[in-house]
Amino acid sequence: MQDYIKGFSDQVISAISHLPVAEISKAVNILHATYERDGRIYVFGNGGSLALATHWVSDFNKTIFGHSGDGGSVRKFQAIRLPSTESELTAWANDVGYDMVFAGPLANYLRDGDTVIAISSSGNSANIIKAVELAKQHHVPVIGLSGFDGGHLNELADAKILVPTNLGEYGVVESVHGTILHLMTEYFKDYFNHIAG
Amino acid sequence: MIITRAPLRISFIGGGTDLPDFYHASPGRVISATINQYVYTVVNRTPLIKQVSARYSANELVNHPGELKNDRIREALLDVGITSGVEVGTFSHLPGGTGLGSSSSFAVGLIKALHLVKGVKLSASEVAEAASRLEIDLVGEPIGKQDQYAAAFGGFNIFQFNQDDSVDVTPILLDYKKKFDLESHLLLFFTGITRSASSVLTEQKSNISDKFDTLVEMASAVDQFYDLLMAGDFSGMGAMLHVHWLKKKSLAQAVSNPVIDDLYQAGIESGAWGGKVLGAGGGGCLLFLADPACHDAIRRSVQAIAHHQQLSNFNEIPVRFVQSGAEILVNTGQFMVGPTVRPQAEASHARLH
Repeated sequence: MQDYIKGFSDQVISAISHLPVAEISKAVNILHATYERDGRIYVFGNGGSLALATHWVSDFNKTIFGHSGDGGSVRKFQAIRLPSTESELTAWANDVGYDMVFAGPLANYLRDGDTVIAISSSGNSANIIKAVELAKQHHVPVIGLSGFDGGHLNELADAKILVPTNLGEYGVVESVHGTILHLMTEYFKDYFNHIAG
Repeated sequence: MIITRAPLRISFIGGGTDLPDFYHASPGRVISATINQYVYTVVNRTPLIKQVSARYSANELVNHPGELKNDRIREALLDVGITSGVEVGTFSHLPGGTGLGSSSSFAVGLIKALHLVKGVKLSASEVAEAASRLEIDLVGEPIGKQDQYAAAFGGFNIFQFNQDDSVDVTPILLDYKKKFDLESHLLLFFTGITRSASSVLTEQKSNISDKFDTLVEMASAVDQFYDLLMAGDFSGMGAMLHVHWLKKKSLAQAVSNPVIDDLYQAGIESGAWGGKVLGAGGGGCLLFLADPACHDAIRRSVQAIAHHQQLSNFNEIPVRFVQSGAEILVNTGQFMVGPTVRPQAEASHARLH
């Protein structure tokens, strides 16, 4: 058992020690620019990645401003998980097709100053790529969190956050994605605490 | 109605190497950063009013854009093909002629807005190229491309201008602590003397062959300045600015004048590590890098000279860096409709790193 646990943790440690630092920095800069122009962040993924998106949005919206925004001195910054309700998810999947579950709702919300974070371990999910293509068509910046070989998402994204692994290592990829997403939340928590004085 | 805004910029090292006469012979390199001072551009279609209205420091109302006195608005409307029923207005926090690149920020915001009116959304590099084409080829300004790229991309960047006219854009990735730290060491003063970049650059352009080696040194110094910036070595950066300000002064007589020299000298004598006049020179803004403990002494000494020289518009401008480049603030047209084909503008020249 100890060997098994060490085997998995070694994989995660290796991935963590090779974080794509420059691309994560670009992602933070993109989010910062989005805040300056009062844009919103839309986040989505399938399965475990959707859970990461939900987790990140709740942390980002609550943690950052729970600490610093209460005095009203710091302008708020909104992150929204898409689809924002299960009803929308099932409506698009049932009525139109599963490949439209993100692009459909995104088309309702998206404005010029916004930013998109797409999370996909394979980087090739058709519904993710459709939504990313919609954002790209409007020059809305895309932060792509991918794993394995990065897939199509890593080619399209402006900030290419790839956690390279063997094909199918979902556990490792999603664990490291979680760490990177927490890093982004921490950064803005520190930043807003700083400017709130 | 469409409203865009584009930030102004502080250029640290390499200004002048973005002129085509230089970079066609040897790559030009510039390091710059955008600040929270903006030029806003409003474009409004007026289907029931056929005339063309331009509102800036003057108001113009004409029957055809070809009659406009404002060269940028005139050439941009003619080039994009909007010939009637349009109002174009521009607003900004600071006056023109500050050396912070405001005319190019306006060109960038204007180009972005007018293409959007036609249903075309431009990428940052497409906006930068189209604005450069507007100012250099259509209006005929003897300027380079660094300001259009700075305003279109936003943030801290190194721009490399290549002999084949392509531009490499390398963002400098600084966290907020480093940006705050740099801000706290910078002092920026508007001298109250405004000048057009064109007059200084025309002289500078004619001197390019004589000063070629100086420009090569300035372009290659960008990497050294970058290393000092990443290391947070502000005194080293200040010393470099000082050396390069002296070099820049040698490029054309109009870069400086006795008043500017006095102001600069006063800043140095009050403890600044270095500094420079921003933009083409001859007026505009004065930038100092100095230990925050010296800032009040520098303020007092330059203000005393400004008072003595009766520079009534002399003022300090607080430096706050921003990350976002030119952006669309308001677009009351429908976001998701309209053609998504590429603009007539040729495919992008910019390569991103």
